[in-house]
Amino acid sequence: MEEEHKEHKPKSKLSGLREFYHKQYKRLLIIPFLILILALGQIIFQIATTGDFVDKDVDLKGGISIQVTAKQAIDTKELDRYLSEKFPKADIKIQSLSVAGQQTDIVVKSTLDVNETELVSEIKNKLGEIEYSPSLVDASFGQAFFKSTFIALIIAFVLMGLLVFYYFRIPVPSIAVILSAVSDIIATIATLNVLGIKLTPGGIAALLMLIGYSVDTDILLSTRVLKRHEGTVFERIIGAMKTGLTMSATTLAAVIVALIFSRAEIFKQIMTILLIGLLYDLIMTWFQNAGLLRLYFEKKHKKETEHIEIEEISHESVPET
Amino acid sequence: MRVFQKLKSIFTDYRVLILVFCLVAALFAISPMPWRDGVVIRSVEKNSSAYNAGIEPEPKVRPMGKERILSIDNIPVHTDDDYYSYVQTIEENRTVLIKTNKKTYRLTSGENGSIGIRVSKAPTTNLRKGLDLTGGIRVVLKPERELAEDEEQVLDFTVESLRQRLNVYGLSDILVKKITWPEQYILVEVADATEEEVKELIGSQGKFEAKISNKTVFVGGPDIKYVAFSGQQARIEQCALIQGTEADPQYSCRFSFAITISQEAAERQADATANLTLDPENPEYLNESIYLYLDDEEVDSLKIGADLRGRPVTDIAISGPGVGKTERQAYEEAIKNMKKLQTILKTGSLPIKLEFAQTKIISAPLGEDFTKNSLRVGLIAILTVSVVVFLRYRKIKIAGPALLTMISEVVLILGFAALVGWRLDLAAIAGIIVAAGTGVDDQIVITDEVLRGELQPYNWKKRIMAAFFIIMAAYFTTSVAILPLYFTGAGLLKLFALTTFIGITFGVLVTRRAFAAVIEILLKE
Repeated sequence: MEEEHKEHKPKSKLSGLREFYHKQYKRLLIIPFLILILALGQIIFQIATTGDFVDKDVDLKGGISIQVTAKQAIDTKELDRYLSEKFPKADIKIQSLSVAGQQTDIVVKSTLDVNETELVSEIKNKLGEIEYSPSLVDASFGQAFFKSTFIALIIAFVLMGLLVFYYFRIPVPSIAVILSAVSDIIATIATLNVLGIKLTPGGIAALLMLIGYSVDTDILLSTRVLKRHEGTVFERIIGAMKTGLTMSATTLAAVIVALIFSRAEIFKQIMTILLIGLLYDLIMTWFQNAGLLRLYFEKKHKKETEHIEIEEISHESVPET
Repeated sequence: MRVFQKLKSIFTDYRVLILVFCLVAALFAISPMPWRDGVVIRSVEKNSSAYNAGIEPEPKVRPMGKERILSIDNIPVHTDDDYYSYVQTIEENRTVLIKTNKKTYRLTSGENGSIGIRVSKAPTTNLRKGLDLTGGIRVVLKPERELAEDEEQVLDFTVESLRQRLNVYGLSDILVKKITWPEQYILVEVADATEEEVKELIGSQGKFEAKISNKTVFVGGPDIKYVAFSGQQARIEQCALIQGTEADPQYSCRFSFAITISQEAAERQADATANLTLDPENPEYLNESIYLYLDDEEVDSLKIGADLRGRPVTDIAISGPGVGKTERQAYEEAIKNMKKLQTILKTGSLPIKLEFAQTKIISAPLGEDFTKNSLRVGLIAILTVSVVVFLRYRKIKIAGPALLTMISEVVLILGFAALVGWRLDLAAIAGIIVAAGTGVDDQIVITDEVLRGELQPYNWKKRIMAAFFIIMAAYFTTSVAILPLYFTGAGLLKLFALTTFIGITFGVLVTRRAFAAVIEILLKE
């Protein structure tokens, strides 16, 4: 360890963090698992209270959705109160969409307990002449849509898992990659539930994208650690991390910009889910997957040789055959 | 000099050459002409004066190949406003000269001076826009009962009837297709119609029956040999105030059009009328009327002339009303009802009743705004990412090629989309963004491998190969994660899966390899 201290002589905050990351990886490993357990708890709670693991939007459970262009600022709370009074049977929710902070549209969403034409005419009563785009989804179609996309999500996971196994051929690191992606999706879904964000078809597409993005960084990490031989395991992790964080930074930047500037609801939902998921991915990749890899190597080397500790201190490459 | 040498080695590298070739092909497929103005023919109403003059839109043709109207009566047409404001001034029975980029047509305006052409702004590229971006109506229909496997041709037949029905009605910018998984659906997209028109046309099964004394004499479709659509044989006969007060008047107009029924149907009619007696109050007519039903609801009843008793007549006039609060409204209602009935008589009834599973309407201005907005978002995202790349590496040599690679990937996906005729929708654009996004990830992997090679003299080829090991693993996993979406959700997320997949495929095969080549040349000392 002394050697490493010398290497980073100007003792910056960064090297302190690196040191912490190096030594405390087992403790850091608690964070992702804690998140995973909390997320699973939330989802179980969600199922117990609503009968479904996620709150589905009108497209996935049936309902009416009317996007109204906001030519001037629309008070959504006021409209919500008005419409809920007019249609006490229906569950009406109003969402405001904005581009760069400026309100562009509102989306009125309702269960199928009202008639679309009546709903539109009441909105007109309140707002005057409006430019609007309605959408109506039958409940059984919504459910079939959800079922099929959910099956796609499961198939995606299975295929991804098989590929990862094929690529790395070692059970523990492969499972670590898959676990990281699974944890990411589960934590993201739980967060959506907590924030009250409803899942749309675009959202499911975003979850699938998330598998892709999540596995990207995990593969980078595992390849660097498992298939390269220069430096210690930890050094290889740090090397992968530099690349991985840059990748996440560019993606996050793009996602945030798109979230702020896009007008379409489908974009906003995709970007929101990617944002949440990519933040979790940082924890799942660099605390969970990296931590598990280090645990794996530690166990493996303990079994194989007693010299491992000496070798790591002497800062030579670790043979891993 | 060294700069020149590096440029030379970049542009002689085969990976860069492949990219350049693909880009040229993509641009050729897209054929962008941003300054092009004018209007193109979007649809032609069946049997309208334009139709009779031989103007026919070709729905299969590429957007840039659509027939473009240059002038009408020698007045140049630059915008759709130009066109529509001139067409409004045309009177009945006048000769109109329409010059297009293909030929000059001479046509005679029909009733109200209509000529029956709908136009749209001339496209500036070969990219087809989906419903989200053009505005229009999307309807997902579900057969009222699940069709067994051996009945699947019923679904095909329904699709064909719907397509024909929309075409006969005069809508050509349409998409009708069946979906068989996870359940049976029919997807219909129409760009240029009102919600009411579409619902009327495809929402009713269109079972037309003419009955005398409760016996069916002929039905729509097979029994009908000819339907008159315009001219003296199909018109609005009379309008009148039928009831109501001054404050709440009600007008009614009657339409009438001629049809020819088959000989067998005429025989059936003869049999049905043979034993009828004369109407005692009105001896010009028989004592039974002929009742017209549409989907089991009575549309109209017609008296049968006394001279027709027991005679097989094939030429028949069909009539019906249109009601409205003003005469104009009643007139338009009658026209609409006539058109619907003509269409249904001509195309027959649908083999199975359909229910609306999903209806989505995007207004045209919203669609246009979505297009502009997503272009802007894409551009800002790409620039932001380039800035982040620059901040990380502090080298134009890296950020520049990264930016160009992202743009190339977008161009290649769009080129492919233009070539195969995808209708790009918002989900597809999201897919393009994802593809470009994973592209940046891969470029960073490549750059870091190459930079590591810079620190420790190492085999360059090996470095790039090491990077591509990661890239290919990520490519395959992303592909298997995205592709299952192709088969789901009534095909509504299909294009998202496809654009992403095509994008990352071009990425790993072409652009990211070219990027690796450029980075290697630029960074190698």
